[in-house]
Amino acid sequence: MTDQLTGAQILCRVLQEQGVEYLFGYPGGAIMPFYHALPEYPSLRHILVRHEQAAAHAADGYGRATGRPGVCVATSGPGATNLVTGIATAHMDSAPVVAITGQVSRGMIGRDAFQETDILGITLPITKHSCLVQDVSELADRLREAFAIATEGRPGPVLVDIPKDVQNQKGSWSESRSSGAPTATPRVEIINDFTSAAALVAAAQRPLLMVGHGVILADAYAEVKALAVKTGMPVITTLLGISAFPEGHELHLGMPGMHGEVHVNRAIQHADLIVGIGLRFDDRVTGNTSGFAPRARIVHLDLDPAEIGKNVPVAVGLVGDAKSLTSRLIEAVAARDCLTWRAEIERYRRDRNEAYRGDLSPESILRGIEEVTGGSATIVSDVGQHQMWVAKLYPYRQPNSHITSGGLGTMGFAVPAAMGVKLARPGTPVWAVSGDGGFQMNMQEIATMVQEKIPVKMAIFNNGYLGMVRQWQQFFHGRRYSATPIWSPDYVRLAEAYGIAGYRVETSRQTEEAIARANADPGPAVVEFMIEQEANVYPMIPPGGSLSEPIEAEPAPAG
Amino acid sequence: MAHVLSVLLDQDLLTLNRAMGVIRRRNLRVDSLAVGASAVPGAATLTLVVSADAGSIDRLVRQLRKMSGTRRVAAFRSDEGVVRELALLRVRSPAGRHAEVTEVVSLFGGSVVEEGEDELLVQVAGSNAFVLSFIRALEPFGIADLVRSGAVALERGGVAAFL
Repeated sequence: MTDQLTGAQILCRVLQEQGVEYLFGYPGGAIMPFYHALPEYPSLRHILVRHEQAAAHAADGYGRATGRPGVCVATSGPGATNLVTGIATAHMDSAPVVAITGQVSRGMIGRDAFQETDILGITLPITKHSCLVQDVSELADRLREAFAIATEGRPGPVLVDIPKDVQNQKGSWSESRSSGAPTATPRVEIINDFTSAAALVAAAQRPLLMVGHGVILADAYAEVKALAVKTGMPVITTLLGISAFPEGHELHLGMPGMHGEVHVNRAIQHADLIVGIGLRFDDRVTGNTSGFAPRARIVHLDLDPAEIGKNVPVAVGLVGDAKSLTSRLIEAVAARDCLTWRAEIERYRRDRNEAYRGDLSPESILRGIEEVTGGSATIVSDVGQHQMWVAKLYPYRQPNSHITSGGLGTMGFAVPAAMGVKLARPGTPVWAVSGDGGFQMNMQEIATMVQEKIPVKMAIFNNGYLGMVRQWQQFFHGRRYSATPIWSPDYVRLAEAYGIAGYRVETSRQTEEAIARANADPGPAVVEFMIEQEANVYPMIPPGGSLSEPIEAEPAPAG
Repeated sequence: MAHVLSVLLDQDLLTLNRAMGVIRRRNLRVDSLAVGASAVPGAATLTLVVSADAGSIDRLVRQLRKMSGTRRVAAFRSDEGVVRELALLRVRSPAGRHAEVTEVVSLFGGSVVEEGEDELLVQVAGSNAFVLSFIRALEPFGIADLVRSGAVALERGGVAAFL
């Protein structure tokens, strides 16, 4: 049966058909027909953000928490360009997002019309796919394609640009044909050599398992754990792989790379085999690739064939999703243990250098959140020093309970992304942890949380500096703290102005009570932690350095 | 080493734009670029000659393959295929010298497309080196204008590199 509907109504129908619950958006001229139709479809709940960047981050957060595309909506011109940072963030971290932008009417395109911008051209390198809808007759198919492409294979953001007159154009609507989802990627026949991979695992004296975001995307927790247990291989989790393997498990080593623990990086440097699952050997993981894991052969399991051998040479590459590949590898490998090797790694362990002075340590704050929430929280972190503390010190036991901007390193991500995560997980406490710099980049979203009743809990690690940049200045730029001291408003009074609970914690004695009160509050809440101003994240591999050369304490002042 | 990339794409500007973005982002040296219709309806062939090492070419091919809109990608060394381009030249030729110019053109298997009063429009097809020698041979007469199509290519024996 076919109905005559406007493009805007067809858009809403497809969103419903795709199971969309939430749209994060902001209206404007070129998207007004859509906003006119929206109230006719009450199952689509619109969240009015205070800046389109936040809409993209919130959609990204929702996408990462559910595995289904998060949807953001913006008007043409500045509305669309404000999405760009959020789309790039989702692209770098393979998050499923569908961005819908209004465009000026077809007849006006190319004439520098009011609020016209070539958003397709601007976002080409940061989208998995994109299109400009030329006619209402193709609208439904383009949208269905967008949803399919955003999630199939390696997920990513897809942008659909819809001219205003196409939103108003009448077209016929029919329910989705079950003709199978369109595919973005040409099917490539791949012959995976599990036998060679298993032989390398059997022959290795010092094998390691390194797991990344692909394990979370493919829901391969059980398989990865079973592989680790069957082979005794110690497990390293990359920044986006955190919570892909339970912290505290006897085989879990920790995070590698620039701020990885010394024993983790040493294990990599001594390993003779690395089995990498769903990671891309990013430069923050490898340091200088010429010095990375010099003794190791690499078996790389990844969904994206373009990742095999992109950054490090690979002995065996296996292409497919982490869940099925890991299951096949479990069958192929012989059971073994790695007791001697694990004992050797234990000897690499060092006590963590005290990273703070004063009694309010990052460790005690994070322990407070863990204790108050009974370990059930999802932690959404921002970018900088606190991000490394949150990655290294919080004991993640629930799969996919750590969400952060890894690849792009987008400050201002945590607060808006946490809105999407909270809507996806209404029964779970969601804590957005930011520094005082990143928090101020998107703190306008408190208003969104209040208006839309999204009870995100916000922790601010306030040290009065852009701490990670300050740390680099201290280590590598002769302590010249150029443009890193940063003033903050009174966050407790800011919370009060928004009508939400706000707490300031200055000593560790106050930590637990403030966290407990914020966590129990039915609405959003802010807790500001006044931490040591010049605390550093240790250890640190200097940028471009080898994993063998960590900085473990403040270097002596130069000259 | 010069490599030829032959990319079969959906025939629309956005897909071409996306493919060029994938290539440009890798900061490789592109010596030649040509786009034209293919044997497949709705698809165009993008032919590139790229100077890069085999590893960079391999990574580029894999990035192109995963792009939506890409139908197939073949890559081969330029000496493993037949690589040809077309050149059109407007050669100065005062009336009395038409025969001289025409003789040079015939020597290269080219042809005179149009005759003007004091110039000739000529064309030739061949490998990059062949076209260059043709141009050099006509330089003494004076070249008023010159366009080259960019190379198109087919792999010898073919098929193997296609996925």
